[in-house]
Amino acid sequence: MSATVPVVEARAVGKVFPMPAGPVVAVRDLSLRLEAGDYVAVCGPSGCGKSTLLHLVGCVDAPTTGTLLVDGRDASSLSDAERSGLRLRRIGFVFQRFFLLPMLSAWENVELPQVEAGAGRAERRRRTAELLDYVGLGHRAHHRPAQLSGGEAPRVAIARALANRPALLLADEPTGELDQGTGRQVVALFDRVHTDGTTVVVVTHDPAIASRTPRTLTMRDGRIESEERA
Amino acid sequence: MRVWALALRSLVRQPGRALLGVLGIAAVGALLFDMLLLSRGLLVSFRELLDVAGFDVRVLATDTPFAAPPIRGATAVVAAIAALPEVEEVVPLAFGGASVVRPGAAPLALAFAGVDPGRRRPWRRVLGTDLEGTPPPGGVAEAVVNRHLAQALSLAPGSEVTLRGDCARERTAVPPMRFRVAAVVEFPFDEPRALTAAARMADFRKACGQEERDEADLMLVASREGRGPEAAVRAIRAARPEVHPFSNEELIARFQAVGFSYFRQISAVLSSVTLFFGLLLITVLLTVSVNQRFAEIAALRALGFTRRRVVLDVLCQSVLLVGAGGLLSLPLGFALAAWLDRILRAMPGIPSRVTFFAFEPRALVLHSSLMALTAALAALYPMGLVGRLPIAATLRREAIT
Repeated sequence: MSATVPVVEARAVGKVFPMPAGPVVAVRDLSLRLEAGDYVAVCGPSGCGKSTLLHLVGCVDAPTTGTLLVDGRDASSLSDAERSGLRLRRIGFVFQRFFLLPMLSAWENVELPQVEAGAGRAERRRRTAELLDYVGLGHRAHHRPAQLSGGEAPRVAIARALANRPALLLADEPTGELDQGTGRQVVALFDRVHTDGTTVVVVTHDPAIASRTPRTLTMRDGRIESEERA
Repeated sequence: MRVWALALRSLVRQPGRALLGVLGIAAVGALLFDMLLLSRGLLVSFRELLDVAGFDVRVLATDTPFAAPPIRGATAVVAAIAALPEVEEVVPLAFGGASVVRPGAAPLALAFAGVDPGRRRPWRRVLGTDLEGTPPPGGVAEAVVNRHLAQALSLAPGSEVTLRGDCARERTAVPPMRFRVAAVVEFPFDEPRALTAAARMADFRKACGQEERDEADLMLVASREGRGPEAAVRAIRAARPEVHPFSNEELIARFQAVGFSYFRQISAVLSSVTLFFGLLLITVLLTVSVNQRFAEIAALRALGFTRRRVVLDVLCQSVLLVGAGGLLSLPLGFALAAWLDRILRAMPGIPSRVTFFAFEPRALVLHSSLMALTAALAALYPMGLVGRLPIAATLRREAIT
C-alpha cells in the first residue's frame, strides 16, 4: 500500500441484515479513511455496529450500500477468491476467542497461513520462529492451544495474524475474555505491532486500550458518533 | 501443512469418532467386497473347472447344456469330429451309476462314468497309472476311483473292486463285474463326499449291460493349437449339424445369462444397500464434525483460506475415512468370504472345487471405485454446508454465544 492510497477507504457504507422481524441496520452511511500506520480503537456500546464495521473493513462481509476501497480496489468488485487472497496477504485477524486450531501446535498455527500463501519451507520456518519470538513464545512453539495459558493463546493468535506480513491488523475484542494483567500484555503487543509499521484497528470495550491509541472512533447506532485524535 | 495433513489432523482430533468411522466403513467395505466376489465367483470358479483338463469345447445332443439327452451314434460322431483339422482330440463320456458289491456288506452306491481316454483325461491322476486308450493285454477291466472311494473301501492302485452297473433309465439286473483299480484320481466336478469311479467306455457299457448302445452323454473336445475353440465349434457345427458344440466361453455366457444371474442380482441389491449405509455413516460423521467446527472454519476463511480450500478439506477427510476403512475392509472381506464360502460349499450337490467367492483384479478395481464414489457423495452435503458458510454471520454468532 503506497503512502498516497489509504489502506481502507469507506464511502457512505451501510450494512443491513434482513431479519424475520424486519431489516436490522448495523452500519449506516459511514465514511472512514484508514491511512498506513494508523492505530485506531473502535469503541461503543454493544450492538452499535463495531464488529460489523470490522468485518466490512476486513472484507469478510460486503456492504449493502456505499463503496469500500481496500488497497485502492473496490472490494465489491472482487470475486470471493480475490477477497480471500486479499485477506490472506494484506489483512490479519485476531478474534475474540482467537480460534486457534486445537489439533495444531502454536508453531503449526502460525505456519498455516504462510502455507496457504505459498511460502517456501525455509521462509516459513524462519518467519514462524521470528514471530513466536516476537510474541515471547519461542519456548512454547510445540504446545497445543489447550496447553497454553490464557495470556499465551492471544499472543499466538497475534503471531498467526502477522504471519503473512499484513498491512492491516484487525482485532475484535482481543481482551474481552482476559483478565486485566493479561489484557495489558496483549495491548502492549498491539502497541509494538503498530510501532513496527502495521496499521492496527482494535474493536474494544476496554477504555484502557482506547486511551493508548492515537485515534479513537466511538460508534452509536451504526454511525461514527465521534472521533478523537491524540 | 498441506491439505491432506490438515484433514488428517482434523480427523484424529476426535480419535474415537474417527475410529468408529473407519470401522464402520471397514464393515461396509468388507460386505461390498464380498458381494463383488460373490457376483462373479461362481462364473470364475466354473470357468476354471471347465478349463482344468485342457478341453475347450463341449459337444451335447441338444441346445440345453444342463438337461441334454445322450448323443446317439457316438462312435461315428467322435470319428467325424476327430477328423476335423480344427480338432486335436475328442473324448466321449457317458454317465451312470453303479454299486460296489461287497461280501457281507450292503452295496455302496457311486457315480460311474465311461470314457474313451486320449492324451487328455477329464480327471487329475493322484496315484497309480492312468487309463490308456487301449486296454491292457489279458482283458482285465480297469477303473479309476476318486480319493473318497479309495478311502472308503481302502483301495489303492492294483486293488480289485466289483461293481454292478446301474445306468439304464429302466432298471434291469446286470451281473457284477470285477475291475482292477489303475489309479486314484480327482474328478473336477466331484462333490466333497462323492464316491466316483470311471472306466473305459467299453467296460462301462458292459458293466451297465448296454454293450449295444452307442451313446455318449457328452464329448470333450480340445481344439488344435493355433485354431482356437471358436473355429472348432464352427467346424463341428458344419460337419455334424445334429450335435451342439459349445466353447467354454459360450457355456459361461449361457450360465451367466440364466443360471448365475440370481447371484448377480442379489449381490447388486446388497451392494447398493451396504453402500447406502456407508454413505449415510460418513455423511453423518462429517456433518457432525463440520457443525462443531463452524466457528473455526469461518475463522480460517477470515484468515484468507479460500472457499475451495475449506471445501477440499472436508472432501479429504471423507477420502481419508473411506480410504482407511476401505483398506481395512479387504482383509476383513477375504476372511468373511472364506467363512461364508465354507457355509455355502457345504450345500449338497456343489462340486468341491467350486468356490462362491472368487477373487479377480476387477473386483478390487470396482470396490475401490465404488468406495471412492461413496467418499465423494458422502462429502457432498457437509461440503455444501462449508461452502455456503457465511463468514461474518458465523463469527458474530460465535461471539454472541
